Amino acid sequence: MNRRAVWAMASKDMRAIGANLQVLLPMLVVPLVLGVLMPGGLVWALLRFGESSGELEEFMRVLERVPVGSLTGALASFTDPSARAAFLLANYLLAPFFLLIPLMASSTISADSFAGEKERGTLESLLFSPVRVGELFLAKVLAAFLPATALTWGTFLLTTLTVNAVAWPWMGRVFFPTPNWLPLLLLVIPLLSLATVFLTVFVSARVSTFQAAYQLGGVLVLPVLVLVVGNMTGLLFLSTPVIAAIGVGLAVVDLLMLLALRRYLDRAQLFESQVG
Amino acid sequence: MLPAAADGRAAPGRLAATVAPTVITAKGVSKRFGAKQAIDGLSLSVAEGEVVGLLGPNGSGKTTMVRMFNGLLRPDAGGVTVGGLDPLERGDDVRRATGVLTETARFYRHMTALQNLRFFADLYGVTEPERPRRLLEEVGLGDDMHRQVGTYSTGMRKRLGFAKALLHDPRVLFLDEPTSGLDPDGTRDVLTEIRRLNEARGTTILVCSHLLPQLETVCHRYLFIDSGRLIEQGTLAELKARYQRTVLLEVDTDLAPEGTALHGHAFTVTEREGRRLLTFRLEERAQVPGLLRSIVGTADVYGARVVEQGLEELYFAIRQERLS
Repeated sequence: MNRRAVWAMASKDMRAIGANLQVLLPMLVVPLVLGVLMPGGLVWALLRFGESSGELEEFMRVLERVPVGSLTGALASFTDPSARAAFLLANYLLAPFFLLIPLMASSTISADSFAGEKERGTLESLLFSPVRVGELFLAKVLAAFLPATALTWGTFLLTTLTVNAVAWPWMGRVFFPTPNWLPLLLLVIPLLSLATVFLTVFVSARVSTFQAAYQLGGVLVLPVLVLVVGNMTGLLFLSTPVIAAIGVGLAVVDLLMLLALRRYLDRAQLFESQVG
Repeated sequence: MLPAAADGRAAPGRLAATVAPTVITAKGVSKRFGAKQAIDGLSLSVAEGEVVGLLGPNGSGKTTMVRMFNGLLRPDAGGVTVGGLDPLERGDDVRRATGVLTETARFYRHMTALQNLRFFADLYGVTEPERPRRLLEEVGLGDDMHRQVGTYSTGMRKRLGFAKALLHDPRVLFLDEPTSGLDPDGTRDVLTEIRRLNEARGTTILVCSHLLPQLETVCHRYLFIDSGRLIEQGTLAELKARYQRTVLLEVDTDLAPEGTALHGHAFTVTEREGRRLLTFRLEERAQVPGLLRSIVGTADVYGARVVEQGLEELYFAIRQERLS
């Protein structure tokens, strides 16, 4: 393993993210909307207008039916219905959005990984150098995985600050996050990012333009969208066992993809995909 | 057979040539891209310490061969070796030993020249930290090394590409059009450097170029390819012996013969700096003294010389004869 070369390639790519608007823009806008504006706005609206809204009763009846599991104890400490609703919204309904952020970030960055090098004519320069294709793949994976995970964790920190700050006048204490976020943040999100990166880097290596890789990568967002909608409608629940199961499933998927990728690491094939 | 340098002397880099092993070989290589047969049963070899010119028109397969020698393309048939190694099997060992300059392998536009070279120094495992900076100064980019490559002219990029090819002090150099886009100064610098690397370090160099008169001063030997096939090869002397059918004799004289031939030799008249020059086309060198004697007998002669026919004339003669 040529660590110096791998890190040179990965850090070169990570620095380039800042210079590439079509990569940078969604990476800034999506976390801002999903992680700050939306949670902050919803929590504020619930606490500010919740009392006067008859629809809250309906909303709460839906929420009470979901198996909140580890949240039950904490939930019981809130007496005010709008505070209960805000607590559930923040700690329960936000979870799927934190799957969307790493998915979006890692697919956008890794769509550019090989396709971007091809478009700029630099892939050939890389392939002329004494770097193994496996090392090149590893660098591309790191260059998407590290920023995507950091961005998600960073957004989570912002969400925590926003939600608690907005709710402070009503709650008077820190109510977000609860411990059930831990397996999501530390297990599911990195593994999901990794799966997305593997798949999109592979797509990017096969197609010749960023746009093509980006669109194909977009197909990946669909299953997670299903999870989001499913969770919203109470069909599927991102309770801790479900999250753990998703984590194990993702770990298996990651491993299988890694094994499959190894078979496709061919320099000549990678080079010829430049024209095709 | 020991290929000599263009001026007839054996280059120092070739001193061990009688026992020099072949460094670059291709045996019966074929490669097809879609409907186009890019390489068609091509075989060639380059010995250690040789500077060999690979000549042919656009699309004749020169760049394809450079890519194949570095393991970027897999031949459909046949095989290549560099330093005795198959670039598909031992690619990184091959690539550690080769420096490559091609028109299509680019640099990162948003990075400066120095950042680009430092990046490639990491990839090639260059241990000397100051080497990127020093090479940039050597190729004349010292004042521009902190500028983004996106702002560079074609010539500056070529100089940068040359510096990149030399980063890891390779034993074998593949230079694809190393002087196209360069101004006369840049061209002279590159040609001087090619000679220096070969003579001082014994670097084996395969040069692809269209600029034939330039190659004449650096190559020991030439390979002519067309449509992916080797059509001829040899030193300049060998090629002249095979293809130079006529001798051109330029005579500065008062003689003003009628017609288009004198003593059976066709001639043309040109004016240069107020002098009339007669250029005779002779079948062989042995006819030169006789013709001169007959002219000197009838008119004043101020000078006479046999016009050297270069690679460019040979190139067309070879293509005409081999492809017709």
